[in-house]
Parts: sequence; C-alpha cells; structure tokens
Amino acid sequence: MVSRLSRPLVFLALCLVAISTVYPLVFMAANTMRSTSAYERSPYGLPSHFSLGSFSALVNQVPFLSSLLHSLIVVVPAVVVATLSSALAAFVFTKVPVKFGNGLFWLMLMVMFMPGIVVLLPLYVEIAHAGLANNFMPAILIYTALNIPYGTYLMRANFRAIPDSVIEAARVDGGSWLHIFRSVVLPIARPAIVTIGILTFLNIWNELFISLVLLHEPSNEMLTPTLAQLSGRFGTDIPVLMAGLLLGSIPTLLLYFLTARVFIRGMLSGAVR
Amino acid sequence: MTDEPSGPVVSSRRPAAPVLSAPAEELVRVAGEPVEDVASGAPPALATFGRRAGARVARAVRRRGFSYAALIPATIFVLGLLIVPIIETVYHSFTNWNGLSSHFVGVENFRLLFDNPVFSQVLVNSVIFLISVPLILVVSLVVAVLVYEKVPGWRVFRFLFFIPNVLSPVIVGALFSTFFLPGGIVDTILRPVGLGQLAWLSQPWTARFVVIAALVWTSFGFGMIVILSALTTVDPALYDAALIDGAGWWRRLRSITIPMISSSLQFLSVINVIYTFTSLFSFVYVISAGGPGFSTTSVTYYTYITTFENGQFGYGAAVVLILFLIVLVMTVVQIKLFPQRQVQQGV
Repeated sequence: MVSRLSRPLVFLALCLVAISTVYPLVFMAANTMRSTSAYERSPYGLPSHFSLGSFSALVNQVPFLSSLLHSLIVVVPAVVVATLSSALAAFVFTKVPVKFGNGLFWLMLMVMFMPGIVVLLPLYVEIAHAGLANNFMPAILIYTALNIPYGTYLMRANFRAIPDSVIEAARVDGGSWLHIFRSVVLPIARPAIVTIGILTFLNIWNELFISLVLLHEPSNEMLTPTLAQLSGRFGTDIPVLMAGLLLGSIPTLLLYFLTARVFIRGMLSGAVR
Repeated sequence: MTDEPSGPVVSSRRPAAPVLSAPAEELVRVAGEPVEDVASGAPPALATFGRRAGARVARAVRRRGFSYAALIPATIFVLGLLIVPIIETVYHSFTNWNGLSSHFVGVENFRLLFDNPVFSQVLVNSVIFLISVPLILVVSLVVAVLVYEKVPGWRVFRFLFFIPNVLSPVIVGALFSTFFLPGGIVDTILRPVGLGQLAWLSQPWTARFVVIAALVWTSFGFGMIVILSALTTVDPALYDAALIDGAGWWRRLRSITIPMISSSLQFLSVINVIYTFTSLFSFVYVISAGGPGFSTTSVTYYTYITTFENGQFGYGAAVVLILFLIVLVMTVVQIKLFPQRQVQQGV
C-alpha cells in the first residue's frame, strides 16, 4: 500500500532484516570452518580455506551425538502423545458434548500459560523419592502434560471451524465416533494438527529448564543442557563453540526447511492462535 | 413423550386419521415423530419400545463411552501432572520443605521473600525485561506490514524471518553473547560511532539490553506471522476508500490496519508478557548467568538458584507461586484493558 516509488525502499528494509536473521547462521558456519587463529585475524567474512578441526575437537570433548539421541528419545514420544491427546480432547469438546467436558476445558485454560516450574518443584522431589531421577520417563510425561492444555486450546479453535453438518452426515451414515474422528476430523484438520505438532516439537526440543533439572548425568543429558554448557567451556575458543551451535541448530532448521510450506501456511491460516 | 410405552402406538396411528384435513405443517410435525413404526406396520408396542430404548442406550454408551475414553489421556495428564502438583506447590509454599522434611511455617517464606532485597531486584528486573513486549510488537508489526507490500521475493523474506524462532534460546543466547563480547561484531560495527570496546556483559544496563535484544530477535518472526495472518482478513476496499480520501501511508496504518488487527496484537501482547516472565531462563543462563550481580536474574533463574542449587524447596514454592499470580493478573489485566477488543472468531 505504499507508492510505487518507495517499493525499492521496502525491499531494502526487508533485506536488512533478512541479513539480521541469516547472518548469524553464516557466522556460525563460517567460523566453524576456521581455525582459532584465523578467527582472531578476521572473524566476519567467509573463510579462505576450510578446516574441519573444530568439529572433531567438539565431538571429542563433548558427548554431542548421544545428547542428540537423548533429546530424540524424550521429545518424539512427548510430541506424539501430547498432540494425539490434545486432538482427542478437542474433538470431544467441540463435537461430542459430554458432562465434564466444560469443567476440564476450564481447568486447561487456567493452567494453559502456567510456568512449567510451578509443577516441576514437587514433581522433581517425587521423582527423586521414587528413584526415577535421571530416567527419561518422567521428562517425557512432564513435557507431554505441559503441552496438552495449549495444544487442546489451539485444536479446539481449529475443530470448531469444521461444520457440524459434516459430522452429522457421517453419523447418519452410521459411523462410530472413533471412525468419525479418524476418517473425518483428522483429514480435514490435518494441516492445523501438523502445524501444532511442529510447534510443540520446537517448544520441547528447545526448552532448557526441565531438561537441565531432570536429566543431568552424561548418560542421559539432552541437547539443550549440552549446548548451554558450551559457551562456558569454549568461550575463548569460538570456532569450537560455533561448531556446537551449528550442529545444535541443524535438527530444528532441517525440520523447518522441510516442513516450511505446510507449517507457514498452517500458521497463516490461524492455526496457532 | 415416547417415554411411555403407549406413545409410539398412539403416534403411529395418528397420521392415518387426520391425513386429509390436517394442515401441511402438522403433517410434517407428526411425520417427524417415530416414522419407522408406521413403516414397519406397527409392531407390538412394548417390543418396539424395548428395542428402541435398548438401541438408544447402546448408542448413548457408545457415544459417552467414546467421549470419556477420548478424554482419559488429557484428563490424566492435566490432573495428575499439572493440577495436583500445583496444589502441592501451594501447600509447600507454607512449609520449610527442603526436599526431605517439611514443617508448616505459615507465611514465613513470603515474609522472607519480601524482606529480601535480591527478590525485589528480581521483580524489578522482570519489569525492565517487559520493555521487550512493546519492542516485539512494533518490530513484528513493521516487518509484517513491509512483507505484506508483496515486493518481489516476499515469500522468501517471510520464510527467512521465522528462522530465529526455530533456534533454541540456548543457541541464540550463545550467539548473542559472542556478538557482544569485547571486540566482537557489535563493537566492530559501533566503533565508527565511537562506542567500540564496551564491556556489554559486565554492566547491568548493557547486559539487560543484550538479553532483551536476544528476546526480540527470537520472537518477532512469530509475531510477524500472526499479524500477517490477521492482515489477510482486512478488506482491501477499506484501503481503497482511504486512498480516495487522501489518507497517507501512516494514517492508513494507524486508522485501518492497527484497529483491524487489534485482537491479534492483544494475543501477541499476552503471550509475550507471559513468555518474558516465565521463559527468560535459557537466555539468562547462557548470556549472563543472572549477572553482573543480580541485575539480569529473572524470576525463573532465581528459582533455579534457590531451589535446585540450594535445596530451599519451600522458599522456591513461594517464589513460583508469586510468579504464577503475577502472570495470571497480567493476563487478565491485558484482556480487560486492551483497546477495541474484538470477539475472537473461531479460526
């Protein structure tokens, strides 16, 4: 809605913002390839020759790959269970009126934006008493629980857009509720569900507090605590630090690059508010 | 009326008699009642009732059965791992719980908290960090409006602007502290202005600035998407009319765009205030470890130190309870106060 003349200015402004979001990635990649001494000479451009020394230095000193594996072990089940539970609950809330549905939904609204730390305090002590400290299971369950209320809220908003007549038609055809959920609601709402699932994945994968507090043995440490300790250990050895940050960024960047079409469209269609 | 055994029989006979004289509406109304009885040639009343009631019960069980089963996972998680622990936290905030033993101490924890200058400092820090919320809103709005101009490559820009959002705050924090190191890239850029060699992370205000900058950088992409999503619902005819009236770009932004998307701005404001209060932990942990002094210690970071490092669980419970209350009040206040709130549509 600006005049034709100022469109180049808009383009220029967008380029500047884009530099701010892309350059840090370039900086990480470029300096991962540099030696420490080359970094100190000129850290900002592209490297003149490539060395993979910082990768091997990192992998030798930090249990990087195992922490990546631990994150997958915790995050994937949590995302699947949270997304599925939310979808089922939201389906009942919107399409199958049931006695305690409203009460449950209000409970969810109340705790929707509750800081996770509020429940972590007693749970942490109980987990320790139960002898489950440093076990993956409690982390999976807590992440799942914390992501159900907001997930349900978002799904409910999306499911409401499905016309009741569609559900009615399927019922007249004799479909059971489970059948309707599986073969009517899920296909219609798939873009929204995928979008919410990706958002949940990013939330849990990138989270630090719970992973730091619950899992702190080398044999079960997740990715974010490992990354968080890098800047303390390699604060003076920027190339190794950057190698860690770059490797740490790859999983979520990859997920984003691969799903951007569906994900961005889902968010634009209002799936996330 | 079909609760009585005689109901179906009576109604099954009704259409026969008045069929010629009945007005069309009544016919329709009558036909709306148990039609299958008529069709099946009026079987014995009791058997009909029994069969149909049985079917209805079966249907109800199937229907209820599914609803309850479908709610079980969510209910177990929400009650067992959210609601019950919250109640425990409330209880323990009145005890001197250290993880093993716990004795009731009344409001002692809260008294200690409010006498503690560090906690006041932590609350003040949180208020300062709230500066990030209007910053995020403004940056998101400006970027969204610029993207919405649809200059060549706008989809690519939209894609690139969301990148900071998918990176962990841990990674963003480490990047930012690298950039703000003495002699780092920020110093290099600022040297021509005469600001080089600033020890950003060892002075309270500049350290807070770095945390806020990192927060804004990670958050604006999501804000942009939400606002873009709202912009598509604004009727272009409004802009055409405004153009005819000679309204300038700024005037159109202020008088059309912002009011039309106010519910999205409200949503962003609410979630960013919550995020600022509850999720700064990762940034603070990586960028400044709460320092210098306690100048960047957020409430969550303070809880981490007192509870998980020093084992004062009762005291920590009091801290997180106050945090929860603050978040709750801030959310309600924003929902009530935000100008021109529109009814949120079921999108």
